[in-house]
Amino acid sequence: MIPEENVQEPISLSLTPYTGSWTKAEAAHLLRRTMFGPTFNQITQAVSNGMNATVAQLLTPVSVSPPLAFHPDEAVTATGSTWINDVYPASPGPTNNARLFSLGAWFMQRINQPNVSIQEKMCLFWDNHFGVDGTNEAKAVYGMHEKYRLNYLGNFKQLVKDMTIDPMMLLFLNGATNNPFSPNENYARELLELFTVGKGPQVGPGDYSNYTEADVAAGAKILTGWTVTDLYSTTASQPTNVFYPILHDTSSKTLSPYFGSTVIPDAGNLEYANYIDVIFSQPDMAKYLCRKIYRWFVNYDLTPSVESTVIADMASTLSSNNFEVQPVIEQLLKSEHFYDISVRGSIIKNPLELLFSMLNASGSVPGYTVPVNYEIYLNLYYLSQVMGMEYLRAPSVGGWTAYYQTPAFSRLWANSSLLKLRFDLGSYMTITPGIVVNGNPFKLNALNLVNNLSLPSSAPQVIDDILTVFTCKGVSVIEKAILKSILTNGQPDFEWTIQYNDYLADPGNTTVSTPVRQRIEFVLYRLFQLPESQVI
Amino acid sequence: MKRRNFVQSVALSSIGAPLVLKNFKFGAVTEDLFKSSKSAGDRVLVIIRMNGGNDGLSTLVPLDQYANLTVQRSNILIPENQLLTITPTNALHPSMSGMRDMFNNERLSIIQNVGYPEQNRSHFRSMDIWTSGMLDPNATRGWLGRYLDQQFPNFPDDYPDTQNPDPFAISMGYEVSATCQGLAANFSVAVNNPFDSYNLVETGQVNDGTYYGSHMEYLSTLIMQANAYGAQVNAAANAGSSLSTMYDPADDVSKNLKYIAQMISGGLKTKIYIVNVNGFDTHDGQVVSGAPTTGAHANLLSRISTAVAAFQNDLSLLGLEHRVAGMTFSEFGRQIASNASDGTDHGDAAPLFLFGSCINTGIIGPNPVISNTVVDQAGVPMQIDFRDVYASILKDWFEADPTEIQGMFEQTVNFIPVLSSCNLGVEENFKESDVLIFPNPCVDQTTLKFKCSGEKVTVRVYDTSGTLVSEVCSKEFQPGEHLVPISMDGHPSGNYIVTVHKNSGTFTKKFIKLKTI
Repeated sequence: MIPEENVQEPISLSLTPYTGSWTKAEAAHLLRRTMFGPTFNQITQAVSNGMNATVAQLLTPVSVSPPLAFHPDEAVTATGSTWINDVYPASPGPTNNARLFSLGAWFMQRINQPNVSIQEKMCLFWDNHFGVDGTNEAKAVYGMHEKYRLNYLGNFKQLVKDMTIDPMMLLFLNGATNNPFSPNENYARELLELFTVGKGPQVGPGDYSNYTEADVAAGAKILTGWTVTDLYSTTASQPTNVFYPILHDTSSKTLSPYFGSTVIPDAGNLEYANYIDVIFSQPDMAKYLCRKIYRWFVNYDLTPSVESTVIADMASTLSSNNFEVQPVIEQLLKSEHFYDISVRGSIIKNPLELLFSMLNASGSVPGYTVPVNYEIYLNLYYLSQVMGMEYLRAPSVGGWTAYYQTPAFSRLWANSSLLKLRFDLGSYMTITPGIVVNGNPFKLNALNLVNNLSLPSSAPQVIDDILTVFTCKGVSVIEKAILKSILTNGQPDFEWTIQYNDYLADPGNTTVSTPVRQRIEFVLYRLFQLPESQVI
Repeated sequence: MKRRNFVQSVALSSIGAPLVLKNFKFGAVTEDLFKSSKSAGDRVLVIIRMNGGNDGLSTLVPLDQYANLTVQRSNILIPENQLLTITPTNALHPSMSGMRDMFNNERLSIIQNVGYPEQNRSHFRSMDIWTSGMLDPNATRGWLGRYLDQQFPNFPDDYPDTQNPDPFAISMGYEVSATCQGLAANFSVAVNNPFDSYNLVETGQVNDGTYYGSHMEYLSTLIMQANAYGAQVNAAANAGSSLSTMYDPADDVSKNLKYIAQMISGGLKTKIYIVNVNGFDTHDGQVVSGAPTTGAHANLLSRISTAVAAFQNDLSLLGLEHRVAGMTFSEFGRQIASNASDGTDHGDAAPLFLFGSCINTGIIGPNPVISNTVVDQAGVPMQIDFRDVYASILKDWFEADPTEIQGMFEQTVNFIPVLSSCNLGVEENFKESDVLIFPNPCVDQTTLKFKCSGEKVTVRVYDTSGTLVSEVCSKEFQPGEHLVPISMDGHPSGNYIVTVHKNSGTFTKKFIKLKTI
């Protein structure tokens, strides 16, 4: 294996707009990093639209409909209607579980959309950033997620303020039980360590080079007074935060020299926002989030040269735009560095990217009744859970280890145990009936995939197009020949052409469609067991 | 360095006939096969990671500090009469009866106040420190990864090979362990269920020199290893057995330790197993309000205690006790004062458990001193550096060379005798269960406990060169148990040996005097 230090350095470390060639390789790179598995059509469309128009499309908001009731345990909301403003019954347990199931399924449905949009990648980014375990009152969980969703390219400082007093966050990191008599430091610590300035090297006792233990203690006092009301309410539509002045520590809190030894005087229910303003005025504040954005969209390896160029430039964009996120994302996605050949294929797919690259790229969307669709999506949720990624249930407040654990990073998604599961998933989505709910099957849609390729009747072209969709740099000549011989069942190429044209002439006839579907499924079954299909 | 040969002679998986082995009554034969093995080569280390920061003061309660604990943490403090007393000054959490029994049977030892200087209270940073065994923030390798790198250079490219057909380390579940991160790859293989079989497609990938190419090479190596190691693990699990009825079948810690017993008994030559237990970050609901013996922490300790006791019982029934030792660790302890949410916030040092039949029994290190006033954010001060514990395990258990061990750590390591009782040539006699010295290590004062039958007993302290330091007493004792204070005031810090001369023989114990902090 090559030691990391011998890996090829990027040719460009610049954020200046990319002007190089714009082919399927570059367009697919952009879409793979910002979506969960583009289709062949989306890739070719992006080629013809060009980089600027494609990035603009990715950044355009898409409308979203809320999660729907589907589960038999839901006691208030009618099936097919949304529960997000509905009260709870007197015994809320089963209904709440039904709503959490609905929410988990809904996350999967959101990702399983045909839109050219960065929205879902950004929502998952914020989920990873704040690391909340969303096993709680479902409306509180949804309410928090909505903050990510409404603000996914918005103002980071405002998002941190909103999250600080969000009911779900107050519950998750014990802000709701933090009081002056017995401070609970949980949120105050993570606010600095994981959400804003980030932890630097420890340079002295309790001194983390950009904040100190004393700041954690002061922060806990600043944030006292907030608690949560109307959880599981039978009358109120939403759980809400509430500020009790009597539970607020009214003393003046002095921050460390890292925050200019600022004194935060008592300001009641506005004090938290004043504190966050002070945090965000720290000169290097923007860098921490920019590193996370970089690792999410570009590459795990923050080399000293990447730090001093790309990260510094991104941070300057983020802070000069008063922490608006969209400008820095837009700049990054249009930059020379983003398209540098050295960073292509440098991320091993996370479980959701793996799962939905199969489904989305084949345009596979379940089209049954709401309860059946939601059951199918719940199954997809469980599949990603088994492979190590539960949406809204990150393993810790730091998010998933693949985004911070040196030196392995995204390789943590594919150790020997998980790799077997990932390959099993490939089999499940291709050569088995897939998920079956009440007799309604759901898996990768092989016929839809092949029908939308550039020249489906040509065996070599089918393989080339499939490799465009599912791999970053293709496969070896030998492997390509193997895949083509699987497609043609070892026959000359024209046999595939005949088979495909027979199917086109009579698409409703399973006698001619089944062989076409199966050959594609066998090709993908093999492809999904190749390392080349594991990265984006 | 000389590559240490992990002994293979008795490993049954090398016979390579799992079908035959399936009908082999394993429990009956292992006794003879394994009990004689004394070398470090076939020893196994089981590590239990208590993820989140375990509250040491509720795990091992210092009884002599109990009054002050009521000042600090009355809402979570367990009533004194419900604690499981194991020494005159120490008691375990009431949900740890399994480990209490192990302590009484000399299968458990506890090292108190383990941590490192300048505690970092971030879960992430502190866990990195504990898994790497380094305070250097640029350290990327795990402490066991560094050790394995020395033993098996050129991993993973050259492995598995005929000498080393089995995974070097196994991490139970779906995640590899950062403790085993080596230079080029992680030495641990994640095994969720050893009874799973592997048959992954092997293809050749070319490394084009980019991050992508590096991933391709990693994944194709992983596929080959997963097939090779998977087959070995699977064969061993099928060949192995588990005989204890003490496991909790509904609990994951029990399930994983049972799998480990099955793999070891099936002849797998894996040196290191890691079990992860989440949930120790008890900021709230550590105890059920008003019922401090119950709650999240009680459940966690109960699961671990039950599983470890069952595992030890299993090893004993399988005749494997002498080959296996275990340790627990957590990234930090928790603050001395509790919070209003019936929980505790991130703190500093905490006790660490060692288990097995080769441990040096007892409680190592003095009780923490608890103040009678609440100090904001105060944690238990570190007294024993966790890196010394790691170094001592490498020395005592894997019999690694002390000079090479020193080379793996950034500070001057102090070796503590933690697992040396199965080693040959050790000048201690641990068979006498009635002799106990505590605290050990001590500061200025320690206590010797022994039993005798109305006889003259002479107690002396020697230094390691054999020079008499002091004669503590030499007189007639009444029949029964006695506590004799030993003052080490004025003597230099270091290793000492106490001898107890009775009619039935002379018994010796090592102990350590710490530098005054």
